[in-house]
Amino acid sequence: MTKQTAYEKPIPLKTQDNHEYWDAADQHELKLQKCSACSTFIHPPGPACPTCGSPETEWELLGSDITATVYSYIVSYRPFLPGFQHELPTVITVAALDADPDVKIMANIIECDPEDVEIGVPLKMTWVDITDDRALPQWVLARG
Amino acid sequence: MSTYSNQCAIVGVGENQRSRKSGTTPLHMALTAARNALADAGLEAKDLDGIMNYSTAGDSCPSHELATYLGCHPKYVKDVSGGGSSTELLIADAVALIEAGMLETVLIYRSMNGSSGEKVGRGYDPNMLQEMLPGGSFIMPYGSASPTQWFGMFANRHMHETGITKEHLGHVCISFYEHAQRNPNAFLNGKPLDMETYLATPDISMPFNIHDCCVELDEANAIIVTSASNAKNCKSKPVFIAGMAPRTTHSHVHYWTQVDEVAADHAAAELYKSAGVKPEDIQVASIYDCFSWVVLRQLESYGFAKRGEVGDFVAAGNLKMGGSLPSNTAGGMLSEGYTHGMNNVLELVRQLRHDYKGTDRQVKDCELGISTGWAGPDIAGAMILRN
Ligand SMILES: [Zn+2]
Repeated sequence: MTKQTAYEKPIPLKTQDNHEYWDAADQHELKLQKCSACSTFIHPPGPACPTCGSPETEWELLGSDITATVYSYIVSYRPFLPGFQHELPTVITVAALDADPDVKIMANIIECDPEDVEIGVPLKMTWVDITDDRALPQWVLARG
Repeated sequence: MSTYSNQCAIVGVGENQRSRKSGTTPLHMALTAARNALADAGLEAKDLDGIMNYSTAGDSCPSHELATYLGCHPKYVKDVSGGGSSTELLIADAVALIEAGMLETVLIYRSMNGSSGEKVGRGYDPNMLQEMLPGGSFIMPYGSASPTQWFGMFANRHMHETGITKEHLGHVCISFYEHAQRNPNAFLNGKPLDMETYLATPDISMPFNIHDCCVELDEANAIIVTSASNAKNCKSKPVFIAGMAPRTTHSHVHYWTQVDEVAADHAAAELYKSAGVKPEDIQVASIYDCFSWVVLRQLESYGFAKRGEVGDFVAAGNLKMGGSLPSNTAGGMLSEGYTHGMNNVLELVRQLRHDYKGTDRQVKDCELGISTGWAGPDIAGAMILRN
């Protein structure tokens, strides 16, 4: 018998350029890459700064109290990847970080009624433990 | 004016019979399309000295293979990986090589079992996507794996900012479905669409329902480009390549990080300058329509309506026959079929040749047309054709 708890969805693939982001996520923290030359955040992380081309980059820990607003979103009624068939409809957002709205982070808005989602609504980051050693950053609607 | 303007022409177009299940290979379909394009031009396979093809995830057949079974031996073959706007890209490559004197006559094709084989719109293998797609690790874990979702993220923000409504999307679909009813080769011929039905259709992925999405089919198309001097020897009426913006890009490869910009925004200036014309001079159009909203966004990019006025532009019937910009007059990819953009170009060529003269399909006396290509918000390309 297959284990009911097996995680079917794609698990973020750690790479040379992005592992610091995902390692921090596993600790329920947000860590962003930043350009050492022009101080711009780089998200998603990469081998150099897309703004100025500098290869000198560093990492900044933003912690676990992360807020943002919905910049755009979709509500998907069909699964296009394994695992999502259990959670329809799926809400996916591109959220603008309150700390720097130029930084957009894509994730689901979980535990929400899609009717409550609209552009501009406030969000709070949460982390969902998906395996023994991996956690996935997600958004929830910020209440109140 | 650009040096290449009007020095090359499209002299042949052809396709196979589109269907849900071809029961054959992309090679067989490409051979049919290529032979039809050669017959249309009054050329023989041995007249081709270049063959080019585009594909996605290896869903076509290589151009060398096509050449062999056409029974010809061109000196130049090229296969590129790409989606929408690759027709415009390869035509530009052909023009450049012809003008450089390296080639004389080039056949460009797209062949895909888009329904019975690999479906672009239904998503891809998640591990392949995370490894191959730039930044895949930041979107796949959230279920974002289909163009419906990727482009929808842009659509919803754009609609929010500019006042475009679901009804406006419906006007795009209804306009093109109306054209399909005059085209016996359109897959949705005999299946007209009205606003009530459209609005009652549930979304697959907001803001798109099934009518907002192109019809994925098994089909092959081919186009032959040659020098203007050689075009005189062809059977068909030449359609000249008057101007091009062969390829433009979004400023960031991870285009979802900036949903207010699309690659098409960067194409218009070069396109109109190279042809020496303005948007208001264009009489017939092929606007890439993998999704209804993509048409609206491009009408803004290419200057046919101002930002904020695009919805009214389509609601007024401007995309229909008799409108100011009859577009996708064979039904477009929303209702004729989806050959990754090439079928819309075939139709534009036929309109500019006045192939439908004397029927209600002909855009009367049209001389100047635009074709826009859209691989996504990330990649675009366009060309202006004239007779
Ligand atoms: Zn920098």
